[in-house]
Amino acid sequence: MASTSVASAGHPGHLQHHFVSEEQQFDASKMGMWLFLVTEILLFSGMFVAYTVFRIWYPEVFAHSAELLDWRLGGLNTVVLLASSFTVALGVHYAQLDNKKGLVINLILTIVFATIFIVVKYFEYTGKFAHGVFPGINFQPHGVGGGHIYAEYDIPFAAQFFSIYFVMTGIHGLHVLVGMGLFAWLITRALRGHFTSSYYTPVELTGLYWHLVDIIWIFLFPLLYLI
Amino acid sequence: MAHAVHHITPKKTLIQVFIALIALTVLTVVTSRMDLGAYNILLALFIAFCKAMFVILIFMALRHDSRINAAVFALGSVIVVVFLLFTLIDTVFRGDLPNTVEGTIMEQEAADEAMRMRDPSREELDAGPGE
Repeated sequence: MASTSVASAGHPGHLQHHFVSEEQQFDASKMGMWLFLVTEILLFSGMFVAYTVFRIWYPEVFAHSAELLDWRLGGLNTVVLLASSFTVALGVHYAQLDNKKGLVINLILTIVFATIFIVVKYFEYTGKFAHGVFPGINFQPHGVGGGHIYAEYDIPFAAQFFSIYFVMTGIHGLHVLVGMGLFAWLITRALRGHFTSSYYTPVELTGLYWHLVDIIWIFLFPLLYLI
Repeated sequence: MAHAVHHITPKKTLIQVFIALIALTVLTVVTSRMDLGAYNILLALFIAFCKAMFVILIFMALRHDSRINAAVFALGSVIVVVFLLFTLIDTVFRGDLPNTVEGTIMEQEAADEAMRMRDPSREELDAGPGE
């Protein structure tokens, strides 16, 4: 990006000409990111509203259906995602201190945690699909597994719960995958020495995105798995 | 020069927040397995809210960030609350008004008018036996 431009005296290469200072450029980028995060919140809020409406209409169905979701797997994923948020925050911390090694290690750890999250999610999804728990009209629970008789969950509006579950966790999972790609890109740039304490904007902004993905999960976990 | 004005969150603070987040996760799992009635949901949401605030204020460093970013975020959150509450005003109270009927007010008035124009005695004659 900007790092390719020629650096003149007192004018760092990453500073684009239409900005007065590095500080102004950084603040502008960051505010743009916060605006984007608000649109992300609004995207998810539509699904949270759908969840709330259906939960208030059919509280017993939701409580009963949620038993099929394993809180241990959800809890594991919560811990994993919190840990990844922690490593991202540490990565930004090291970037601010010009510690390239610390930054790269923490970015790698973040990808590792994100991978664990996706793998757990994969086993959760396939476990549901194997018993006919699909989103939408194909919802047809059958068989026995994990101490559950799936046919007992074939009640009116259970399909709505699982549709909401799959859509919310699915779009959240998509954000996790996108984040993993971004972190891989950041690692290659960090290794090439693109980031310093005076320029680490992509690390900071991707970090903000990742923390938001974490926050969405912080709400999804209790709403879908616990209550 | 630039990094001098950026707030660098100390490593110790990040570790403390991470431990707090894990502790709150354990707390929400433990309390969800107790029967607190309606308080189960409220407590779970309250704990989730606390966790989210930790992440936003410390990990995302909004506490030390420009106030305009906090304003952007707060505005987005307010819109979500408006979205949720105004939807619930509709969906929660559907069917709560027992005296409602199908059709528009004009159609109802027309039906009332038709009822008034009817001549009951004439009808009784119509229905009379052995005509």
